[in-house]
Amino acid sequence: MSQHRALNTFGRSGNPVIRSAAFQKRVSANEERMSLDGAVNKTGILLFLTVMAAAVSWTYQGPLMTLISSLGMVVAAVSGIMTFGFYFFFVGWLVNPRPHNAPRTAPLYAIGMGFFIGLISEQAESMFPGIVIQAVSLTFFVAASLLLAYKTGIIKPTQNFLLMVFAATMGIFLTYLANLIYFAVTGSHFFVLTDNGTTGILISLFVIGIAAFNLVLDFDIIEQSDEQGAPKYMEWFGAMALVGTLIWLYIEILRLLMKLNRR
Amino acid sequence: MSSLTLGAGFLGLISAFIFFYVLKLKASTKQTQRKNRIKWDRYIPYRDDTDGEGLKKESDDATFRND
Repeated sequence: MSQHRALNTFGRSGNPVIRSAAFQKRVSANEERMSLDGAVNKTGILLFLTVMAAAVSWTYQGPLMTLISSLGMVVAAVSGIMTFGFYFFFVGWLVNPRPHNAPRTAPLYAIGMGFFIGLISEQAESMFPGIVIQAVSLTFFVAASLLLAYKTGIIKPTQNFLLMVFAATMGIFLTYLANLIYFAVTGSHFFVLTDNGTTGILISLFVIGIAAFNLVLDFDIIEQSDEQGAPKYMEWFGAMALVGTLIWLYIEILRLLMKLNRR
Repeated sequence: MSSLTLGAGFLGLISAFIFFYVLKLKASTKQTQRKNRIKWDRYIPYRDDTDGEGLKKESDDATFRND
């Protein structure tokens, strides 16, 4: 009997020993499994590193710190690509995801992003005092609300939800990339992205919504990795994804508050 | 410091506490026992630490003899 005919006739083995032999060998025999507590602790560590780096770049402003912050962004981008991979529409994975890199790349990512957000936060605060506390608070408020909605089952991420969020995130990424190129050439930004009018604010709200939906996906990654007994390094991977989305959400909320303050 | 900033700071502290507390809790069965969950293991090769060389195909579950 051919292999495929046998599979069609008898179906796949339901014996857990047979079905997950490779998985058991790889995960339980050689490595510790991840836990929710571990992922939360790693999230705390990464947020601490981000805040410390942000405090340094906030305090010591100047051309050198601007250079360090730019380098921090590059380090964060490379760390992100080395861990999450790089996917492009119609092309596929240009760089494959490598979650086992996360224990090494996550702290670098957090510190690099910390330098960058410290710089932009200080600039925002000098223009509108009190705006940073408001943005940080709103970020945690949105995150806590969505986490409650996720844990209680009010928001249920499905495959269609993933496709929708991924497509919207890629769209935003491409728009920001085009804006960056436009800025490099002309020295000005796309009007709709910086506009303080209704259109600009609606766009900011849309981007904040997509960043918030990305948080739901991060919660789902952490939850499922824990349920399936993923290797220990997935704690760092989940924490890095979560901190990355929190930083994105914070930057977008800060931009929205700046637009509202300028009106 | 304005009262708006103070209020926002207080809201942020409570939200951060709730966030870290709830993150440690397991999701409800309504969330975890659904059939239409995202299959993350399709996208994230966390069962493998050597870039895919150890991933098993479905047909590798058991050995069949070709007649």
